[in-house]
Amino acid sequence: MTVAMRLAAVALAAALLAGCGYEDTPLPEEPEASAATSAPDCETPDESGTDPVASYHPGEGVPTGPKLDEIRARGRLIVGVSADTYLMASENPEEGNRIEGFDIEFAKEIGSAIFGSDFNAGRNLELRVITASQRIPLLTAGDLDLVIRNFTINSQRWGCIAFSAEYYHSGQKVLVGASLADDDEENGEYRDPSDLAGLRVCAPTGSTSLVNIEEAEPDAKIEPAVNHTGCLVKFQRGEVDAITGDDTVLAGLAAQDPYAVVPDQEPLSDEPYGIGANQEDIDLVRFVNYVLAEMRDGEWEAAYERWLQPVLDPEGDDDVVQPTPTYGR
Amino acid sequence: MSQSATAPPPPAAQPAPAPPAPAAPPKKRFWPAPTGKPVGAGVEDTPGLLNRLQVIGVAAVLIFGLASALIQYLSFEADGRAADDTEQLVRVQEIQTTLLRADAIATNLALLGGSGDPQQIADRDAAYDEAIADVFTLITQAAEAQPADEEALSALNVAVSEYATAIAEARSNLRQNFPVGKEYLSGGSSALRSDALPILENLVTANSERAEESMNGQHPFWLLLIGAVTVGVLIWVSLVLAQRFRRYVNVGVAVAAVLVLVTTLVAAVAAWRGDSQNEGLLDDELTKAVDQAEARTAGNDAKAYESLRLVKRGSGTTYEPLWQESAEVVVDTADTSILPDWEAYVARHNQIVRNDDQDFRGPALRVATADDASGSNQPFTDFDEAAQKLVDDNSETTTDELRAGRAAALVGSILTLLLGLLAAVAVVRGIGARRREYS
Repeated sequence: MTVAMRLAAVALAAALLAGCGYEDTPLPEEPEASAATSAPDCETPDESGTDPVASYHPGEGVPTGPKLDEIRARGRLIVGVSADTYLMASENPEEGNRIEGFDIEFAKEIGSAIFGSDFNAGRNLELRVITASQRIPLLTAGDLDLVIRNFTINSQRWGCIAFSAEYYHSGQKVLVGASLADDDEENGEYRDPSDLAGLRVCAPTGSTSLVNIEEAEPDAKIEPAVNHTGCLVKFQRGEVDAITGDDTVLAGLAAQDPYAVVPDQEPLSDEPYGIGANQEDIDLVRFVNYVLAEMRDGEWEAAYERWLQPVLDPEGDDDVVQPTPTYGR
Repeated sequence: MSQSATAPPPPAAQPAPAPPAPAAPPKKRFWPAPTGKPVGAGVEDTPGLLNRLQVIGVAAVLIFGLASALIQYLSFEADGRAADDTEQLVRVQEIQTTLLRADAIATNLALLGGSGDPQQIADRDAAYDEAIADVFTLITQAAEAQPADEEALSALNVAVSEYATAIAEARSNLRQNFPVGKEYLSGGSSALRSDALPILENLVTANSERAEESMNGQHPFWLLLIGAVTVGVLIWVSLVLAQRFRRYVNVGVAVAAVLVLVTTLVAAVAAWRGDSQNEGLLDDELTKAVDQAEARTAGNDAKAYESLRLVKRGSGTTYEPLWQESAEVVVDTADTSILPDWEAYVARHNQIVRNDDQDFRGPALRVATADDASGSNQPFTDFDEAAQKLVDDNSETTTDELRAGRAAALVGSILTLLLGLLAAVAVVRGIGARRREYS
């Protein structure tokens, strides 16, 4: 009987323990980092001796052609733009979420030139918001007429699409916190990339800006983000000390954060911006170049002074002018 | 019939052991005549035999009492745990839904920017703050309710805090019309889905399994088996006694057998009914509560995607497939009674998509942010509230019924233990009567 009771007690204890205990809820496994999407492969054309910024001459008079006829018949010019690159192209909630900025001024000028005095931006200009990685695929697919979105002209891209003449000459620079731009040499004042040694620098994943800064200062700690605005988020959270990118983009970031400054500096690279088009639409490219030439009458300068100069050149002492076009294709 | 009616033969009256006969005929086994006299071979071992039978009989009924009571007690415990686990399951689903509800409000709020109607912005701000506060309260309650969830809830707490910080930064920047506000918002939403939701999915899965396992805590088969074995042992004891003494029935053992049999039948029927009830709750009310919570979660997910496509202008191709995925979950899991509410919302969503695809920004935003029936918010809120009511009603029914049924199991457990002891006493008395007859 004693043995039986003991057995029963053990069984009772075991059953109770088995019934009451739960395994801990597991934590999810860390997902594997996905590889960055690569840019579309463009076969670089054999154009030795051809300047990458060289575009098609607008010719005499107002260019015409089948693409322009198609756009007029459609009644709308479709332009791929950004909507979150402050000062270049971003929504203004106070103006009915209209997209505005330096790039948008060019879209309006081209639309106005195509449709003439009847041009109405709301009706005749469709601004389609795209990402950087969509620029070339959407142009080659014919979904867009033009792309005006921080588009650097280079030889490889000429293998996929066509570019207008250069409409703005940008360059890669570095944005830092105000404490690194207060003329205090002892406080690590930023002068050139060598000052980034040991500092955390952000640039978009897979961008040329990231490669350039790694080459310029190998001791800089690279902290990539999805895009430049993502870099600003990291900067405001104190996760990075500096952001690198085109001066136009950095101007937009600095305008959103009173602590962020783009100090006077030599650019790390040349970034000639062009307006992208489908390779087949040479008449449209000629027309865009015609419009750009027309903007020398003051429209380009007005756009620059309105959007970029207040941040990039607040003193107004830099002699920034519209780039001289190069033709030769 | 009573064994006490016949005086036991005095041991001295036993005939002296006869000298072994050279050719003793094999003893015939026969059903003993009801005389109360020990019969058959081994008469000299009778006291030892009675002791052994008593030990076996008493042990059998005591083990029966303990084991059967234990099984019923475990059923009582299991029903309690099932109710607790069900509450925890509903709680973690509530966290999941409320978190996505907060995200749906935050993303919709971003569409109003810094230039929307101040009263509308203030109302949405308050609704968002309330949702986030509810999430933190529910996380605390869930951690107290289930220690096994503590680690996961701790990680969830961190993820939700980071999300809330990102949204606070988004709101601050959006009020200044800075595009970086949208980056904080979309980054926060994205991190919510990549960091917090997988933790919540694990919590839902773990608690679903626990609730289901606990609801299967009734064991009529084991009760029947233990009872049958015990009755079998008692019958065997009776047979041995009957063979040894000239009585067909030992009343004590017979009483014990009847007690065991009745207890077993009552306990098994009660357990079977409990099992059926739990199965019914599992298949109906609990499944309905879980499904409607899932539909509500997916609905809020879709609503957030709808706003995000407008926050990130031109991102329709990114967010619409995600909206469709969530909408399919709603259609698959939502109760038919709330599907009309959902379809009313879908009609508004389709309006938004049509406008946004053609870049008619103003009309798209108006439909997405209007709080009256012309916008998507009101029909969505109708769906959300209807789904919430179904979740509340069905989960309450489940836990109430689980708790109501368990009292019977506890009473049954105590009674079985007492009846087991009573049966043991009956066996002792029954065999004691034979011992007295023998002595």
